[in-house]
Amino acid sequence: MESTESTASRMVRDTRGILGMKDQVSHLIGARDLLWAWTGRIIRARYQQSVLGGLWMIVQPLAVVALFSVIFTLFVPVDTGDMPYPVFSYAAMVPWLLFASSLGDMTESVVGNMNLITKIYFPREILPLSAMLARLVDYFVAFGLLAVLMLLFRVPIFLLGWLFLPIILAIQLTLIVGLGLALSAANVFYRDVRSLLTLGIQLWFYASPIIYPVSMVPERLRPYYYLNPMAGILEAYRAVILNGTLPDSSIFLSAVVAVLVFAFGYWFFRRVEFQFADIV
Amino acid sequence: MKNTVIRFERVSKQYRLGLSRTSLLKTFSHTIRGGYKSGGHESARREVLWALREVSFELPQGESLALIGRNGAGKSTTLKLLANITRPTSGQIDVRGRLSALIELGSGFHPDLTGRENIHLNGTILGLSRSELQDRFDEIVAFSELERFIETPVKRYSSGMLVRLGFAVASCIEPDILLVDEVLAVGDASFRQKCLTRIQALLRDGTSIIFVSHNLFMVQAVCASALYLEHGEVKCRGQTTDVIAAYERDLHEEQARKLESLWFEQNEGVIEAQITGVEVLDTNGLKPGEFCSDQSVEIRVHYKAYRSSGKANAAVRIIRSDGLTSCIMRTRFDDVSFVLQQGDGTISVILEPLQLVGGTYHVEARLLDELNTTILATGWSEWFYVSGSAPSYEEQRGVFEPRRRWEHHSLSPHAIRADKTEGQPFILP
Repeated sequence: MESTESTASRMVRDTRGILGMKDQVSHLIGARDLLWAWTGRIIRARYQQSVLGGLWMIVQPLAVVALFSVIFTLFVPVDTGDMPYPVFSYAAMVPWLLFASSLGDMTESVVGNMNLITKIYFPREILPLSAMLARLVDYFVAFGLLAVLMLLFRVPIFLLGWLFLPIILAIQLTLIVGLGLALSAANVFYRDVRSLLTLGIQLWFYASPIIYPVSMVPERLRPYYYLNPMAGILEAYRAVILNGTLPDSSIFLSAVVAVLVFAFGYWFFRRVEFQFADIV
Repeated sequence: MKNTVIRFERVSKQYRLGLSRTSLLKTFSHTIRGGYKSGGHESARREVLWALREVSFELPQGESLALIGRNGAGKSTTLKLLANITRPTSGQIDVRGRLSALIELGSGFHPDLTGRENIHLNGTILGLSRSELQDRFDEIVAFSELERFIETPVKRYSSGMLVRLGFAVASCIEPDILLVDEVLAVGDASFRQKCLTRIQALLRDGTSIIFVSHNLFMVQAVCASALYLEHGEVKCRGQTTDVIAAYERDLHEEQARKLESLWFEQNEGVIEAQITGVEVLDTNGLKPGEFCSDQSVEIRVHYKAYRSSGKANAAVRIIRSDGLTSCIMRTRFDDVSFVLQQGDGTISVILEPLQLVGGTYHVEARLLDELNTTILATGWSEWFYVSGSAPSYEEQRGVFEPRRRWEHHSLSPHAIRADKTEGQPFILP
């Protein structure tokens, strides 16, 4: 918790305010109100001066999926079995966009609020976490549209499968929080992180089964392919939503990787958060 | 025995200057170019700055402490450490209770959100629950006097409005500890008055306050004790008036040194004269340190002239503790002049009576050449107090306390019948 060269300690404070956190758990529980308030702020600010407003939540995934549908059904046909390509890619695009846009926003969340950080104390995790929660709203809205798409393309809906979604989402969020905390903290010290992330997300997009099925990945590369936790997660989404089957074992690997990433990200963030205000 | 709410124990804070922000590319190009400076050595040359060094103090509950000192003395760092914004490099800080900090302008406000949203956000950050916030919302708005602008994004607020909102939020949440940093200087006088009244009310209710301001007048109004920081170390701590006096003395010495060195530069080391002392005395030639407004006062300037340089002028300025020039008296404008003879001498100006409003003042005296253009020497008196005022907010009372009498004439026929004082001056005691 302390920076390495520091021999200081801060005494336990009164527990009435958020300043009085005894340990990390009550620390965040006490800040729950703030987390919601801040998340609400982000959402309001995002759509305040835009004409389409909340519609943007579905415009982006729809536009991207439409584009890829044209390319991969007309120009370079991709074999997705019986599944219509738009539904096939949209089911993975929505969770992917949650992943990519959350990470982007989280990375900027601390740096973008330096004026607050240098002037007022609150648990710093609030910033990246609320950036992610704000994106989660988009995700739910976009997912609602998936049901509409499935009806439209006459894809059978397996409601039982949707019950698995919270588990898959939990794994995905664990991964996002871990990465996002680490990135947001690292970005305070090195602004290269931002550019690196943009590049990384682009590469990661093609390394994940979004616009193509895993079956197109050569058999011998699959073990390495599944080291990408998003591969297992996206496949699990497709399994429970589109195929009505249980996720295959790759989701366990994803879960393990997600937990490890989370542990690292949280540890890293806690380790450096008290230096944020000192970096001008 | 009161509880201690703040304990600072041998706290030090180190900042690194020029933190290793050198990019890889720069390091790389340095390495390629070779030479003595390789990239690796650059980081070793990092300078460190001790913003605070081994600072210790305590604050009992319900008391107020002023932090004074020059810029960069460590006042703001102390507040930031207390507010948990940053951590000490070494030492221990103990803070008990809900702390609310007003550090710099618009701190904690989000520019795109309206006043209402910012109040909610800030209240939440300061640890209020939703229902507590609801209860206090109207009070906050009323105090800030921003009813008309509460739905306006704060980016459109003036700096005065930001301060009002900031102080309203910080003070209305009834904190156990309130930190106030300089911000009140921005607000207008009547709002400042309101803030001071609120601060005094909070103090009565048991809130502890740490107050940072360059306005020594306000410091005196708010704080009973003060801590004087210099270069990150505690120079002295004690009664506000004593600490301020010590601080001002240092400021004057520094100013005198600067003027002296400037003089040396301009005149190649030739000193014409020096002011050896400035005294504020009563008519008996005594120095009571405290005067009444209707008392006669003599300001006596002692000087030493190093050569006889002909006619000279003197100027005497009375300065209130917040820096306000209360009056300037110049020999030249009064058609008085004197000749500077080598050796010691004194110039006196007698004020009959003093006619200053109660408060804390000091005198700056200058010797000038015949044309009143070149300053030959400058000196300052010690602080003196003019009685007749509780140490409250003095800005609104003016500086001039004339000798006066009141009269009242009533031309109403009823008044004539009621008391036959027509035409008779009615003199208030």
